[in-house]
Amino acid sequence: MDINWHSFFFLLVALLTCAFALAVVISSNIVRMAFYLVLSLGGVAGLFFLAGADFLGGLQLLVYVGGTLVLLAFGVMLTARAPLVSMKTAPGQWVLAAVVGGCLLAVLLQVAWSVGQWAGPGRPGVLEEEAKPTAAPLGLGLVGVRVDQLDVDRRADLTEKEKKAREAGMSGYLVAFEVISVHLVVVLIGAAYLARAKRRVDAPLARPPQT
Amino acid sequence: MALQRSGPETVEFDVHTDELLVNMGPQHPSTHGVLRVVVRADGEVVSEVTPQIGYLHRCAEKIGENVTPRQWIPYTDRMDYLAGMNMNLGWALTVEKLLRMELPERARHLRVLIAELGRIASHLVAAGTYGLDLGSFTPFMYCFRERERILDLFELVCGARLTYSYITIGGVTADLPPGWLEECEAFLDQFNPVIDELHAMLTSNAIFIRRTAKIGVLAPEVAIDYGCTGPVLRGSGVSWDLRRDGEPCYTKMYEGYRFEVIAQVDGRYPQDQKYPPVPAAAVLGDSWHRFYVRMLEVVQSVGLVRQAIERYRRSPPDCGEPIRITQKLPKGEAYLETEAPKGQMGFMVISDGAAIPWRARARSSSFCNLSVISELCRGCLIADVPSVLGSLDIVLGEIDR
Amino acid sequence: MAELLKSFVPVWLAYSTAAAVNAALLVVLALMVAAVCNWLERKVAGRIQDRLGPTRVGGRFGWLQSVADGLKLLAKEDLIPQGADRLLFRAAPYVSFCAACSLYLALPLADGWVALQLNSAVFFILAVAGLEVLGVILAGYASGSKWSLFGAMREAAQVVSNEIPLALCALIPVMIAGSMDLVEIGNRQEGWLTNWLVFHDPFTFLTFFVYLTCAVASVNRAPFDLAEAESELVAGFMTEYSGFRWGVFFMAEYASMFVISGLAAILFLGGWNGPVPIAQWLGLTRDVGPLAAWLGNFLGMCNMLLKCSLGVLVMMWLRWTLPRLRIDQVMTVCLRYCIPLAAVALLGAMWWTYMWPGGW
Repeated sequence: MDINWHSFFFLLVALLTCAFALAVVISSNIVRMAFYLVLSLGGVAGLFFLAGADFLGGLQLLVYVGGTLVLLAFGVMLTARAPLVSMKTAPGQWVLAAVVGGCLLAVLLQVAWSVGQWAGPGRPGVLEEEAKPTAAPLGLGLVGVRVDQLDVDRRADLTEKEKKAREAGMSGYLVAFEVISVHLVVVLIGAAYLARAKRRVDAPLARPPQT
Repeated sequence: MALQRSGPETVEFDVHTDELLVNMGPQHPSTHGVLRVVVRADGEVVSEVTPQIGYLHRCAEKIGENVTPRQWIPYTDRMDYLAGMNMNLGWALTVEKLLRMELPERARHLRVLIAELGRIASHLVAAGTYGLDLGSFTPFMYCFRERERILDLFELVCGARLTYSYITIGGVTADLPPGWLEECEAFLDQFNPVIDELHAMLTSNAIFIRRTAKIGVLAPEVAIDYGCTGPVLRGSGVSWDLRRDGEPCYTKMYEGYRFEVIAQVDGRYPQDQKYPPVPAAAVLGDSWHRFYVRMLEVVQSVGLVRQAIERYRRSPPDCGEPIRITQKLPKGEAYLETEAPKGQMGFMVISDGAAIPWRARARSSSFCNLSVISELCRGCLIADVPSVLGSLDIVLGEIDR
Repeated sequence: MAELLKSFVPVWLAYSTAAAVNAALLVVLALMVAAVCNWLERKVAGRIQDRLGPTRVGGRFGWLQSVADGLKLLAKEDLIPQGADRLLFRAAPYVSFCAACSLYLALPLADGWVALQLNSAVFFILAVAGLEVLGVILAGYASGSKWSLFGAMREAAQVVSNEIPLALCALIPVMIAGSMDLVEIGNRQEGWLTNWLVFHDPFTFLTFFVYLTCAVASVNRAPFDLAEAESELVAGFMTEYSGFRWGVFFMAEYASMFVISGLAAILFLGGWNGPVPIAQWLGLTRDVGPLAAWLGNFLGMCNMLLKCSLGVLVMMWLRWTLPRLRIDQVMTVCLRYCIPLAAVALLGAMWWTYMWPGGW
């Protein structure tokens, strides 16, 4: 009997992630929900690491667990009143949620199974493959270079017109990057505006009678 | 960093937040005793501070109606227990005022010597614990190391380190032991570099200045209204010290001694020695100035102790005789305020002719000093409450009696 | 190790044992660091305060004081306040500790001597270092007391804000070295003192000090330790924690202090390459042979540990000398001083590498 430790840990982390995600849904205490979500997203980061995407795993930890969830925990903690600390869900809502979630799961599973490359067991020698540098392609992609299609113009079977069409669409993710940045700036400004103090001068109060 | 509320104005926030009622104490590392401070704060900004006292009340004044004045001296020790000698002195002088007693010269110089050493010891505690409140652990150790030396001197004199009952009505319980003056001088000689160290670690430290400058600014009129005295009053620029400006019964103890009253007059502190400069950030009446006044008073007290040692040596060897324990007090009343380290400590004795007073009363300096805290803390942050409290230098034994 | 064991036991057992041993070594390193730092802190504090520190347990220098402290903590009563959320209260210290321990995965102690040679190691360390604050927040909330909540809020704000200048400062050596791989950054600084990145250009020199300030702020040491402020909130978010749970929090703090100093040492101070190239002089390089290489690496590891300890000592020195800053002053330092300085240094370093790409 030979255990493929990589697959074992991958399955274990995946199971934990799913379990904690279920716990988020099933739990009735909102702060505990936030905690389980932390563990679940940490599990996702673990899955990234196990799949060899170190940078993405680090990014997941930095942005999601260290940023978004800290903010969530903050907000939940500071505003958690009694009705939120023990939330009850009606049985009808459970059924509805199960049905919708189940349908989504079925669709996702069907799509996942239909990808030929993912269907079979791991290819031999996949464990010895070196993890490629994961930061450089991402960085290049963000500034506009489509690194996954760099060898396009070396393919001999494309016509000139097709090559030009491809090049025209090779703007990478630059536009998306800039749009998100502007969006974030707008969000920041909005938040600052909401939290500002408005000063308003009232009419002077009547002076108490002099005794 | 206080919010200035100028005139009738409403500050509105779009996001509504609730006020928080936070309780500091009575068990708390920085309330300087068993003091309960109820803080009403909106997030970090304090809107009201209510001190609640009485946790250390021991019915000292009621007991004063059941024992003779000499028997009441240990109870005065336990009022401001960090400056027991000065408490003893206050009560002794009050009863001597009632009895119209005159003390021999040596007793007078001895009392100045001991009282000023007590002042140094009390201010060392104030400085050390103030640093501790703000997170600076090391000056606390240095201050207490020096205070240990003073306490050793006191132990040689009367056998006790904290509750002395040494200065009594009619003089002192016993004269100084031989060799004590030399030890005292040795202590003073090695003490000045320590003061410089404390200045470097606290008074001139940028972080300390940031934590204390412009915090808890006390205007002189408000200080006088609330009855604040001592370094709290002098830190606001009022030049008032009972050793110079008090009643003759008290000031004649300091007759002939050269010392400066530490208060900022016309924008300047006394220039008799080289003191660290006042930083630009500090505003007259803030916590930094109150701390600065105490540090400079320590230097003045060192000078006073040296002068007292000289005069003691030259005076005729008669230290006075304590009165009989059951001595009858004449009918009448006497009230005397003395300049204790923490402020003006007043004692009152009303007698109806018996040996036991009809009423014994102590007017506590820290009581009035503490009462101003709600004024000082309005608009500051929660982290500034220990800063202000520490700068007022209160001791609960005195407040609650 | 797995190769060695394969000949004795089945392959799966070999790999799992090797993995378990490696993991245990890593955790032991973190714990040892915490234990030594605990003793060192008390000795350093004592000396600065003109006294001796522990002198009784384990000889004249109190070597075993940490052990005694650990035993004492284990033996204390396990208190959970009544209003506390029991699950979160129990879990919080371990969240912090796991975050602090995981940092050791990516910290190299010598050339190639690292548990996991990630090619985005700097990023990994910065990301995981920001996870400790989750444990703090949970602890603050789960204690069920306003004081703890206050302390946790302040600490979370402080740590999260300081991640920005910390990352900016860490970015500059990464940019100069051209890689986020710590082993590569360390190897680039081989040789003499002048090869150290801190002396590469004046902007990196400035960055080193900004990094130090942000590092001290992000591990909550004085003068930025208001989360543990004794005089204000009793002990902040740790008020309700006693006994071993408190010990776990403190171990997490010391462990992350060590790693942050280690990161500073590798990014700026040459890592395992000393001020003088001793290993080369002694002929202990890779070209000579595997044993020589191992010895050279061993010297490098000692050098690296020395630098980490120096960083930790400086942090302790600061704690026992300076008073504490208020939360708004801490945030001012971070947002109004550190971030602009780090940004200016980044621009300057960029310009410098553009003008003189091969070094000056």
